[in-house]
Amino acid sequence: MKNYLRTISGLGLALAFSMSAQAQTAAPAAAPAPPPAWKQGMPESMAKSTLAPLPGKLVATKAADVPIDKIKLPPGFKVEVWADGIPGGRAIAEGENGKYYVGTRALGRIYEVTDNGKERTSRIVVDKLNQPTAAYKDGALYVVAIDKVLRFDGIAKNPNATPVDLTAKFNFPPLPHHNWKYVAFGPDGKFYVPFGAPCNICELPTAEYSQIRRYNADGSGMEVLATGVRNSVGFDWHPVTKELWFSNHGRDWMGDDTPNDTMHRLKLKANYGFPHCHEGKIPDPDVKKANACAGVEPPAALMGPHAATMGVKFYTGDMFPAEYKNVLFNARKGSWNRTQRIGFDVVTVRTDANGNNAKVEPFMTGFMNPADQSWWGRPAYLHQMKDGSLLVSDEQNGVIYRVTYKK
Amino acid sequence: MQLLSVVQAVVLMGAVFAAAPAVYAQIAPQRLALCAACHGADGNSRLKGIPSLAAQPKLFLENQLVLIREGMRDIPVMKGSLDGVSDAEITALAKYYAEKTLAPVPTDKDAEVFARGGKLAEGMRCGICHLPTYLGREQIPRLAGQREDYLLHSMQQFKNNKAVGRDSNMTASVYGVSDQDLNDISYYLARLMR
Repeated sequence: MKNYLRTISGLGLALAFSMSAQAQTAAPAAAPAPPPAWKQGMPESMAKSTLAPLPGKLVATKAADVPIDKIKLPPGFKVEVWADGIPGGRAIAEGENGKYYVGTRALGRIYEVTDNGKERTSRIVVDKLNQPTAAYKDGALYVVAIDKVLRFDGIAKNPNATPVDLTAKFNFPPLPHHNWKYVAFGPDGKFYVPFGAPCNICELPTAEYSQIRRYNADGSGMEVLATGVRNSVGFDWHPVTKELWFSNHGRDWMGDDTPNDTMHRLKLKANYGFPHCHEGKIPDPDVKKANACAGVEPPAALMGPHAATMGVKFYTGDMFPAEYKNVLFNARKGSWNRTQRIGFDVVTVRTDANGNNAKVEPFMTGFMNPADQSWWGRPAYLHQMKDGSLLVSDEQNGVIYRVTYKK
Repeated sequence: MQLLSVVQAVVLMGAVFAAAPAVYAQIAPQRLALCAACHGADGNSRLKGIPSLAAQPKLFLENQLVLIREGMRDIPVMKGSLDGVSDAEITALAKYYAEKTLAPVPTDKDAEVFARGGKLAEGMRCGICHLPTYLGREQIPRLAGQREDYLLHSMQQFKNNKAVGRDSNMTASVYGVSDQDLNDISYYLARLMR
């Protein structure tokens, strides 16, 4: 039986689940309380598991303390620590005059990193925000938190610009879980943003989650482009086809090898399966529906179970060898809900001319040692610089690497 | 919320100055005195609603101190108390309290409530992250032996979506759990000695 949204404790929000309520005392409301999201989808067989999200770090790491010699790249590529001292730094947006904007997650800050070609300095633009990220367009910095959208006009010339608050116009849904946002302006000038499902697995409390949307830059003209997307935290447009490719995290607690995280091509108004179907072919064991996978858009590539597929960037520069032109790079932050770690790397995804027959290969590795399962870094976000080098944020150490190539 | 009198705080301050070992040289002496005023010189809180810090995982303490300094985790009574404290000092403070010993748990025990709380905690899978011993690890707090009133307060904050800045997995984990259940879970965890 399907449960519908109820109000719990006057919050005006609640997670509704199709599972029956567990052996808990019912809340005073008429309907029984739903099981907590954390437990949702956890089978009895996993009750003794001790897999848990990996610990983040909120204090600064100095470049000298990063074991950069452990990073492995194909021949001819080099890596340096390009910026440090940005705890939890994830999102990177390029502004003007050598300025880059870096969003940190738990720390709640947006840093402005200034590159004079030799070294980087940084300052805090805004802080105390709920998981902020950044985008830049037409001289304006857009700062996007779970519950806020701010636009800093002309920030390159006026470092102390007072932000315009666009929060009401964008009208984001309120639940925080899985709602850090990857944001970017598309070739059409529109603002693209996904909204994750606020749970591991559940019937959605309201329809506005597990979507990808686009808006006009001022927050008007909202369109839902895709539904059934559990948690996309990376996307980019193919340089030739202009098609949007996006990463998506698969659910937890279905075992080490199921389901895969996935890479998708955006088909307008398509359904990508959440919560009923994973990888376009695996019906969910907890949130059931007849013909769960009927009409569900299949993935373009399987990115590894629990690998945490994050930032996506098609390489369009001239610095890397020609074989990397138009190739999709993907940062995989690394697994926690798996007994053997996977990810903790940057991979390439190559396809045929039609975008089919995807092949996933390692590019930047060494952050995790499979032999003893130890790990020290978590690549999260990719940005191509104007000279064709690739910036990679390491959220664990709060540093940004720069990958270059020289014959 | 109870606070110590100035006189008591000053007395404690003297005790803390004498006790602070040299390895914690990065910690300003007045800082430890300030922490001690509420959390106890040995990290064991004797005040209603104030958590004990003793024997918590170091990374958990470090993360929370940063979030409180940043104002991400809003604790009115602590507002401003960590302003300008460096990352290095925060790390040293976290280490200092992580190495303290937690005082013995309350001896009064209603066997029925204790058993019910234990069953609830197990059923809600608290032990997956906090470990079956409830000793916590890394970024995940120790629950065993924490003050009952604080455990209840903290879970109610998560339930009421007031735990901004903290892990969103946990934020979603107690939605829909009754106050009675949270009460019994707190009763159980507060009396667990490990």
